[in-house]
Amino acid sequence: MQKVKVSLTVNRKKYNLKVDPDERLLDTLRDRLHLFGVKEGCSIGECGACTVILDGKAVNSCMVYTFQIDGSQVLTVEGLEIDGRLDPLQLSFIEHQAVQCGFCTPGMLMSAKALLNKNPNPDKEAIKTAIEGNLCRCTGYQQIIEAIEASTKKDGSE
Amino acid sequence: MIEFEALKPQNLKEALAVLKEKGMDIKILAGGTDLLVEINNNSDRLGDFKYLMDISSIKGLDEIENKKEHLIIGALCTHTQISESELIKRNFPILIRAAKTIGSTQIRNRGTIGGNINNGSPAADLITPLIALKGSVILKSKNKKRELPLQDFITGPYKTDRKEDEIMTKIKIPKITSDYQSSFQKVKRRQAVAIARINLAVVTDIKKKRFNDIRVVFGSATPTAIRFLKIEKRLKQAHINELDLESIAEQTGQEMVEITGERWSTPYKKPVVGNLLIRALQEIIREVQ
Repeated sequence: MQKVKVSLTVNRKKYNLKVDPDERLLDTLRDRLHLFGVKEGCSIGECGACTVILDGKAVNSCMVYTFQIDGSQVLTVEGLEIDGRLDPLQLSFIEHQAVQCGFCTPGMLMSAKALLNKNPNPDKEAIKTAIEGNLCRCTGYQQIIEAIEASTKKDGSE
Repeated sequence: MIEFEALKPQNLKEALAVLKEKGMDIKILAGGTDLLVEINNNSDRLGDFKYLMDISSIKGLDEIENKKEHLIIGALCTHTQISESELIKRNFPILIRAAKTIGSTQIRNRGTIGGNINNGSPAADLITPLIALKGSVILKSKNKKRELPLQDFITGPYKTDRKEDEIMTKIKIPKITSDYQSSFQKVKRRQAVAIARINLAVVTDIKKKRFNDIRVVFGSATPTAIRFLKIEKRLKQAHINELDLESIAEQTGQEMVEITGERWSTPYKKPVVGNLLIRALQEIIREVQ
């Protein structure tokens, strides 16, 4: 298979890569860029553990070939932290104990972040829709939804 | 694993030229939400191909145009774009309801209307309402352009009439008057990320409390989504307050079995299609009363 040249901006840093045609964005992020916050769960778009923000939208990185997205901007959970400071959404997840085993957490954070970027004050239904593609087998979702809700209130009062 | 080379044409013209030359060896990739799963699963449905041609970033195929008598939806419009379109909401709210039930936010952000149609799944959530809306599809090749009804484009489960050198560019839907009502129903196993066990689109206008034009399309009940013509005929001109719901449900189940024959799923699907139609009719009747 012939490699394909792709340039990507990942977590605000530019990369020029030569990727295999069947290399998924998930593979590029984990295997080349060592961003292990991106998790591989089901590999078929059902669990959302590999969710990243691609050009402003939450996507399953297992369902995108890297060669498709030349010139795109990608944000992973590692990119939420800026200069050693966690994103308010991450702090809210900690505060509300929205994490148990942690495997779904990066995906949850990215789905929630994409929502908040687009709609800083979502209602509960919008929050549920935003994370409907993210499975969590520990928390029962309640704390996750609370964490996201609290984060919107914070944003509103600032 | 399947091995392939990547093709990434810069525009439609280039894509059609490449297809003309080696279309038989090319698989077309748009949003990838079906195709990447099939490649990952090494699915038999994939057939042989040497090249994967990504068209997802080709410009001009993701627009929604408002024409006098039609709405034209670019084949690369994502389900998210459809869900959020004011034009579609005004003209065909049923398409919005159907698009919102597809996959999850992540899948709706990538998956496209053209991909949903061309994958040709009997459970595709946009095909059912698009047939009920009498939609047609526009296909382009290097030297030709053709249009045909969506119903004729889908030739079997996961089979379409697309020729190797063609790309679907647009979906065209004739406008309906504002007195038309519609209902979309879907039976699924999980709230999100669920493939329809059965879906149903009903589009109708009601004149003097009677169904006038009525279109009933089931997906995943028959090999391809089709209109249930017998039940349509029975409902046409029926008074909305004088419906024999039990017998309508029964007849709907029978019409399905006439098409599919008795299958392992028949004991489940036969009553469910009937009940689903009743649910849709009741929803529509509530709207107009």
